[in-house]
Amino acid sequence: MDFEAITSNLPLYLEGLATTVELVVLALILGMALAIPIGLLASRKSVWVTFLPKSFIYFFRGTPLIVQMYMIYFGAGQFEWLRESFLWFLFKEAYACALIAFSLNTAAYTAEILRGAIIATPYGEIEAGRASGMSGWLILRRIILPSSFRRALPAYGNEVIFMLHGSALAGVITIIDLFGAARIVNSRHFVPFESFITAGVFYLILTFAIIWIFKRIEFRWHAHLRPRNS
Amino acid sequence: MSDHSTAKQEVPALQVEEIHKSFGAIEVLKGVSLTANDHDVISILGSSGSGKSTFLRCINMLEYPTSGSVRVKGELIEMRNHKDGSIAPADRKQVDRIRSKLAMVFQQFNLWSHMTVIQNVYEAPMHVLKIPKKEAKEHAEAVLERVGLIDRKDYYPAHLSGGQQQRAAIARALAMKPDLMLFDEPTSALDPELVGEVLKVMRSLAEDGSTMLVVTHEMGFAREVSKRVMFLHQGRVEEDGTPGEVFDNPKSDRFREFLSGSLK
Repeated sequence: MDFEAITSNLPLYLEGLATTVELVVLALILGMALAIPIGLLASRKSVWVTFLPKSFIYFFRGTPLIVQMYMIYFGAGQFEWLRESFLWFLFKEAYACALIAFSLNTAAYTAEILRGAIIATPYGEIEAGRASGMSGWLILRRIILPSSFRRALPAYGNEVIFMLHGSALAGVITIIDLFGAARIVNSRHFVPFESFITAGVFYLILTFAIIWIFKRIEFRWHAHLRPRNS
Repeated sequence: MSDHSTAKQEVPALQVEEIHKSFGAIEVLKGVSLTANDHDVISILGSSGSGKSTFLRCINMLEYPTSGSVRVKGELIEMRNHKDGSIAPADRKQVDRIRSKLAMVFQQFNLWSHMTVIQNVYEAPMHVLKIPKKEAKEHAEAVLERVGLIDRKDYYPAHLSGGQQQRAAIARALAMKPDLMLFDEPTSALDPELVGEVLKVMRSLAEDGSTMLVVTHEMGFAREVSKRVMFLHQGRVEEDGTPGEVFDNPKSDRFREFLSGSLK
């Protein structure tokens, strides 16, 4: 075992850690912003309304994340109109491509979680809102979404952990995230076990932090589901 | 007759005319009319399937009547015919505004489960009536005091008994300072020993002059508290009069049968 190579490269790992956290947090924020409207549309009754959002969900849940990321990073450059458009500054950057792929992927999973939670809203609670004179928008904002977010929380905690682990793919397309840092250390010193187990430990610590955060949110948001006096 | 002959031509709190309602080929309501004046307490009786709940739900447009008209404080709820033959309110905003004056209490309480009792009570006053939070909260506390739930104000609905949940739902309805309260079988989902506490609250509301329409199976309440009793059978009004007239001198065989069934 040669942990000398690890300790001397600790700054590289910390840089990778920062990149991983940043990528995941940004992807989760962008993903959630997309998932709310997509999940809402997908939960409607009309096939005309649900067709597009459901297709989106199906495509991004139905293909591997690495395929999506490769399509965006390697595939986009094939189109001349895209290379010449103002969007090229995004598609030529590995970081932006990974972020786009991760955001769309987590948006699809999150939208599906939300859709399930939204259609499970007790109908009587919606009727009570209507009977009080609430508009559809107000019912959505004050009743359907808050109660759906609570129902969606445990499944969403899982999705966040999946996203963290999925983000390791960024290391494959030249980004120095945790996995990318481990790859560099390995190639420099040829210590595969030490370099990857170190990345693994960082992922474990991040996962622990995510679990802790969700436990706190659940404690607050699920007060209505806890037995009293606990 | 429920007219106050002394009062001058006042606008009735509620005027429902010739409501018909069909679900598919089944006609549930076959022309039901009702006029309620301020401070009236009207009990609507009927066996299950008689259309009494549907009638109540047509008043605040939770169901759209197939034909007929509803006037609240003289204001007609405008309806519009759609191309496919269905009929729906023409102006959602008008319906929302009128609903905020017609509070409803449901059989299954339908409290918002993610909100505490007091949040349930001040939610609509704050967001529909746009009352400032502090004021809405103070009023909510007063209303909870009135239904005897002030010590449970920070509980979530799941932590309350059925009777307490229904009293919370009544408080939520009261907080809107409604012109008319609609009760849809408010005690039918309760254990027998919890029915009393809810009826007691409703009785006190009636004594304080609230205008109430109560779909119920509680004969005691109908007889003692209400000013008028209406009996529906297969979508038609079979009896309509004061409790004295209706209970002591029923005109229809249907109602006699219903009474003997419910007295068992």
